[in-house]
Amino acid sequence: MSATPGATPRTTPGAAPRTTLHVGDLVVARLAARAARGVPGVAGLRPDLTQALLGVAGTVFGQQRDTLPADGATAVVEGGHADVSLTVLTRLGHNCRDLAAAVQRAVSAEVGAYTGLQVTVRVTIADVLI
Amino acid sequence: MALDPSAAATGPGADEQIEPLACGRDAAVVWDHAADGMLDEHERGCPHCAAAIADAHGLDGVVHRMAQEQPLPPPSLMDTVMEAVLDTVTAELRPQDLLALDSPAGPARLSRPAAARVLRHAVDRMDGMRARSCRIEQDGVHLTVAITVTARFGVDLASVTARVRQMVVAAGEQALGAPVARVDITVVDLWDEP
Repeated sequence: MSATPGATPRTTPGAAPRTTLHVGDLVVARLAARAARGVPGVAGLRPDLTQALLGVAGTVFGQQRDTLPADGATAVVEGGHADVSLTVLTRLGHNCRDLAAAVQRAVSAEVGAYTGLQVTVRVTIADVLI
Repeated sequence: MALDPSAAATGPGADEQIEPLACGRDAAVVWDHAADGMLDEHERGCPHCAAAIADAHGLDGVVHRMAQEQPLPPPSLMDTVMEAVLDTVTAELRPQDLLALDSPAGPARLSRPAAARVLRHAVDRMDGMRARSCRIEQDGVHLTVAITVTARFGVDLASVTARVRQMVVAAGEQALGAPVARVDITVVDLWDEP
């Protein structure tokens, strides 16, 4: 989370300074990935090429282990709205259409509740494990 | 041996006087004697020659050890890198590889190869049938499936149409969540139980 650039805080003595809160893309991506992994039928998230290569680099050079993984999730926050894209894997036996809708509802609810943003969730089911 | 005096003599510095060891011997000659195991009395006793011989042994050890080493990264690292790169490159989904799913909660898509694999798997589970290829086209939300199958010898081909169609439609609805509007079936081969 970071302060919006260009927001000039007023420093009137005695009054609370004007404060803005901007939630970063990566925060939303990590929240979305976490929420998606909790949906029954989601076997995992598939990182995109950049995330996969960064993941490999991380295992080679050592990386922070205490961050929530965002692999398979990307987000763009603009104003009060977040666009989330998720790439998930599922198992045979779960209806893909219902699973996609369940992921969208879960992610939208969790990200919305945590950040206060309006959320659009785009789900791609990349594979069905048989 | 690493150094060959004759080669050195024809090198760029051939006419330069080679600086001898403090005892007056040429280090290259001492190295060669050491390599051949033919040290003379002076070389065995002289501290300067002994230092040159130790240098030769040191270099020899390093060069041969490195030559025998297989400078491969640890297998776990190699496997990790190759696996991750291949997985992501081969699995990188292009827009034309995706089917749209009808979701009220936002845009939802399904990998076309994954959907085809699900339908083939459903047909493979049928008695006397094996799926080969499966091509899926989409018109709106409805799917058109073109599937090729092989049948066990003796299976009633007249009933194949109805059985496979039923299986594909059911799998489309239950596993994929997409209605199948049309199924084209081609029986391309026969097989027999051994």
